[in-house]
This record gives sequence, C-alpha cells and structure tokens, in this order.
Amino acid sequence: MTETGVTRDLMRSAEIKQIVRSAYAAVDSSSEQLACKLYSPEELARMPQSAIEGALGVGNHLRHAEIDAGETLLDLGCGAGIDTILAAQRTGPTGRVIALDFLPEMLERTTTAAAEAGVDIIEPLEGDIEAIPLADDSVDHVISNGVINLAPRKARVLAECARVLRPGGKLTVADLTVDDEELPTEILAHPATWAG
Amino acid sequence: MAGALTERDFVTKLERAGFTGIEIVERTPLGVDDCALYPLFTPDVLDLMRTLIPTERQQTIGVAVVVRARA
Repeated sequence: MTETGVTRDLMRSAEIKQIVRSAYAAVDSSSEQLACKLYSPEELARMPQSAIEGALGVGNHLRHAEIDAGETLLDLGCGAGIDTILAAQRTGPTGRVIALDFLPEMLERTTTAAAEAGVDIIEPLEGDIEAIPLADDSVDHVISNGVINLAPRKARVLAECARVLRPGGKLTVADLTVDDEELPTEILAHPATWAG
Repeated sequence: MAGALTERDFVTKLERAGFTGIEIVERTPLGVDDCALYPLFTPDVLDLMRTLIPTERQQTIGVAVVVRARA
C-alpha cells in the first residue's frame, strides 16, 4: 500500500498519543508546589493529598467557571481528579460529573480521591477526547485543564465538545498556547515536550 | 507544549467548531522554571530549554489561557 499524507498524519497521530499515554502513565505524583501555585488554600483544604500531588493542569479555570447546582459536567482528561472533585463540590449532590480519561490508572486515582473527599457523583469514563463516548447534547458544561494541547487533532476535540454539549452549554478550559515565534527544533522534537 | 496552538488558532478552531461568545478570561505566562514544576518535563529537556532558548525569552515560552465559550 502506498503511504499517503493522510496515513502519515494518522501514523504521527498514533505516535503522539502513545508518547502522551506513556508519559502520563509513568507519572507517579507531582509535588505540592504546582497545586499551591494554581489553587487557593481553601480549595486545597478540601482536597485529598493524592489529588493535590497529582495536579498537572496549567491554570485554575474553575475560578472563572459558572457551575450551576445539578448540572451535568464533563471533565475532559480528569487526571488525578483535582478539578473533577472541585467541580463536583459545586454541582452538589444533584449534579452529575463525568470524569473522562484515556488512562485507567488516572480514572482509578480520580475515583479513589473522590471517595476520600466524600464525593459520590463522579462517574469515571475511559475514552479518547477525540471521540468522546457520550451522546449528542448530553452535557451542560465541559471543563478541561491543560489537556487539549496534548491531542494530535485539536479541531476534532473541540468538535466533539460542541457535539456533546447541549445548545447553549458551557465550555470552560485552561490550556497552553504558544507565541508565533516557535521554540527551537531540538526542543519541539523531544518527546517530553509532546506530553508536557 | 510541542502541540500547543497559538491563541489565535485556538480561538479560530473554537469558532469553526461552532462555539460562540468566546472569551479569554485569563492569561498567565509560562516560563522554563514553571515547566520544571511538572514531572512531564524531563531534566534533559529542561536543560535543552535553558541552553537553546535565549535568556530573555525563558520567562515566557508559553501562555496558559483560560477560555470560556458557549455551544
């Protein structure tokens, strides 16, 4: 079979996903330093230590999120669960919070941390953010923290967010952007910069 | 970081996905020292950054943005 541009792109996409998957699976925990930089002492006070040490986001989008009690919220790439739990504390017991991640290890960490935090409305969901395994118009709010930049096909991720959100639904995301001036090739070619 | 978009491209992709009312509500510079807080950045890539990125750019090699939008 002749290799086309499309197949090369798909191969590259698979390679990037594997790099990201391996890097995140290997993360045991971060330090508290990152969580202390991003979250308030009040937010951290009601958070299990495992979620604090597992924080890997790039911002505190929840500070800007209008989360209503009872809403159905999807956390895209939940990681160790810090944002998922904070969001669930705001939706309250009538809410539904779906924690989506492609790594079972991360879903397990989120589930354990949620139990420690006394939050029982979080539903772990294993899946790819480029093909969210949820029905159309099924979510009120999508949140995400430092995850979309990791996806090879970002337009696909955003289209999937739009698909699962009900009309008028909210998107609140923190993500990393770069300037037009590119970083040196040696850095961009390093696998660690595709996961970090 | 290697997969990050420019802010303009990120907003364009949101618009193309059908989102409206797109607002950037926070921008926080990310420097090499900030990257060192993440276990995902290995010591060798941090060394590369400190060696290859001009000192004056090392405080802001990316910008963390918070974006709000409506479907």
